[in-house]
Amino acid sequence: MLATVVVSVFRSFYQDGPLEPGAPTGQGSKAVVQVLEDLGVDVQVQRHTADAAQSLREGRTVLVTDPTVLQGEQLDALVAAHEAEGSGRLVLVQPDFVTLSYFSSRLTPGATLDEATTLEASPGCGDLAHGARALAVPGEEGLHGRSVLYRPVEGADGCFTVDGGSLVAEDDGLLVLGSADLLTNDGVGAADNSALVLNALGGGGELAWYVPSATDPMGTAPQSIVTYLPDWAAPLGLWLMLVAGIALLALGRRFGPVVLEPLPVTVRPQEIALGRARLLQRAGDRDAAATALRSAAATRLADALGLRHERSLDGLVAALAEHVDHSPEQLRALLGPTPVTSDQDLVRLAHDLDRLEKEIDR
Amino acid sequence: MRISLTPRAALVALLALPVIVLWPLWWVLLILVALWALVVLADALLAVDPRRIRVRRESPTQVRLGSTVSGRLLLTNPGSRSASLEVRDAWNPTAGLASQRSAVQVPAHERRAIGQEFTPTRRGRHRSRAVLVASRGRLGLARRTARADAPGEMLALHPFGSRRHLPSRVQRLREIEGLAAIHQRGQGTEFDSLRDFVDGDDVRSIDWRATARRRSVVVRTWRPERDRHVLIVVDTSRTSAGRLGDSTRLDAAFDAALLLTALAGQAGDRVDLLCVDRIPHVSVLGSTRTTVLHDMVTATAAVDPALVETDWELAASTIAARARRGSLVVLLTPVEAAAVHSGLLPVAARLAKDHPLVLASVADPALEELAAGRGELEAVYRAAAAEQARAERSGVAHALERVGAHVVDAPPDRAPQALADAYLALKAAGRL
Repeated sequence: MLATVVVSVFRSFYQDGPLEPGAPTGQGSKAVVQVLEDLGVDVQVQRHTADAAQSLREGRTVLVTDPTVLQGEQLDALVAAHEAEGSGRLVLVQPDFVTLSYFSSRLTPGATLDEATTLEASPGCGDLAHGARALAVPGEEGLHGRSVLYRPVEGADGCFTVDGGSLVAEDDGLLVLGSADLLTNDGVGAADNSALVLNALGGGGELAWYVPSATDPMGTAPQSIVTYLPDWAAPLGLWLMLVAGIALLALGRRFGPVVLEPLPVTVRPQEIALGRARLLQRAGDRDAAATALRSAAATRLADALGLRHERSLDGLVAALAEHVDHSPEQLRALLGPTPVTSDQDLVRLAHDLDRLEKEIDR
Repeated sequence: MRISLTPRAALVALLALPVIVLWPLWWVLLILVALWALVVLADALLAVDPRRIRVRRESPTQVRLGSTVSGRLLLTNPGSRSASLEVRDAWNPTAGLASQRSAVQVPAHERRAIGQEFTPTRRGRHRSRAVLVASRGRLGLARRTARADAPGEMLALHPFGSRRHLPSRVQRLREIEGLAAIHQRGQGTEFDSLRDFVDGDDVRSIDWRATARRRSVVVRTWRPERDRHVLIVVDTSRTSAGRLGDSTRLDAAFDAALLLTALAGQAGDRVDLLCVDRIPHVSVLGSTRTTVLHDMVTATAAVDPALVETDWELAASTIAARARRGSLVVLLTPVEAAAVHSGLLPVAARLAKDHPLVLASVADPALEELAAGRGELEAVYRAAAAEQARAERSGVAHALERVGAHVVDAPPDRAPQALADAYLALKAAGRL
């Protein structure tokens, strides 16, 4: 577990990706950068086009690891910097036709290498071979797919040529490498790849390693959907909004005034009784509740028997005893002030009183 | 007058879409807007002027609550073009107008009627706030709206549901008066006639002098007094706003007052009515016997409860000014501890000295339902609270009876009959 933590911590120190200067993985380029720094080359890693163009103007060698993802605006900036007075060398790794056409009209991508190949330096290469005699590139399994051979015309130079296409080509300060695998940790060791790379990049003493990134403010200019719409879309949209506005206006028309009506006030009259019931229940005042039920029942019983209300409990019990099955003691317990100890007793008392009244009614 | 658009104006604007697709230019858009506005404006201006439409109303002025009446709105088009009109008659919602809006086509120089059905749901005065006439253009893209001058007012009268109890009470009144087939001798102070003794007559009513002149035993008959004065005082304060079942306590009180009025009219008594709370506000005084019921129904139609306490001292002075000594005073007010403590008891005592006093109260049937509740503990507590409330009410009623008032306390469906019976009992006992 400690090892996992350590590995994860150490892994988080570099950013992995194709030709990432800090990545020790197979697709990274830590080996090249490390060796260049050991040789005394000042390597700066850059991720924004503006920085790369600035470095180019200042005379640094600039390596663009993936020029195909750059957009027109970014390419224009790099072209402008490249054509400026005293600019440094620009190295493009495997550019496609469109990208390359921005920089040079004398270089065009041609054939590709399907098989892993070792290319010998042609005799007339001169400095363009950068001291390498042979370059080894993989075939279809390359980092950016198959390696590309470029056709130099009208004064542009090419080296490591097969069938008129060159793996390395140069045109007026622009160096084009036909394979990204020349720079990777896996590929730099093969054949004389290291010689070519170190000499080509370390020649100026100062190198800007430009990795195009998605967060580049120049590159994120969104290709919005608006540009794909036909030109009548905007007037049409405006007209539809106008129509929607008219429709809302027409449907929202109020036909005459809103009629207000004061309604008579009404009150729920039993609120007081309900509130008192809730108070009794919350206070648990069973005796008060029992007293109310008993006195009401006693009043009704006395009415039924034709007694005067003012007469005492004894009179009522005596009169009742003749008509019902209960004994006088039971009646006295039912109607008298016997304490009620539990909620069940209270409910039972209510039912017993009901039953007694029904018995008298019969 | 207002010009407004119809939904069709928006639909017509959609016709411009192909033009915009073909020529997506800004000035084309502006031209289309102008064209659309021109068409709509022209349609509005070519519509018949709604101010020239003559509106006349034929609607009932009175309706008994709960029944349906129909009225008409007559629209006359004096112009030479056919008018396509939308009309809104803005009655208040409880007037129960089936549909406030209607569309009607009125040809040139003709008149059309819009039928209206009213089923009011609230007692009182209902009013049409406005009559609006909108005239649509020939294309139906715009309309011009104007207010028409056709005021409408309707009085929803008390339903007087207790009037079905009137025949039986009148019958009983006739028996008391001795006019019915059953010769029951009524007591009273007004000498009526002499007749032969029949079994069951009170021996005290034998006229011995007349008997001495004839062979048979002769009794005097008396008939209850006519032309007595009854003053009904209805309390319209806070306590009358209580909702009992479907209607308020005040509605039940008016129901009782109307039944008593109808009965007293049959008995030949004069009836006056006062409504009191902080001020005596509505009164029906000095109506003739034939018109008093109608006057009373009309006058009480628009009376609603007010959330104030009754000023009983003021009520007492008003009663004293209106009622002669000996006339029957009927107070329609709930018998409640709070109301009694607010000064009813001393006033009742004073009134009972000079007048036979009946205190009619409308009881809350919900209280009886609560008192009958059993089962859950909560229901039993509620029953206990309801019994306490009823005990308080009966205590108050006893206190009022002790000072000399006759207390009638009944739920709303029985209160009118109970009051009428109390009146008949007073008549039969010769107390009136």
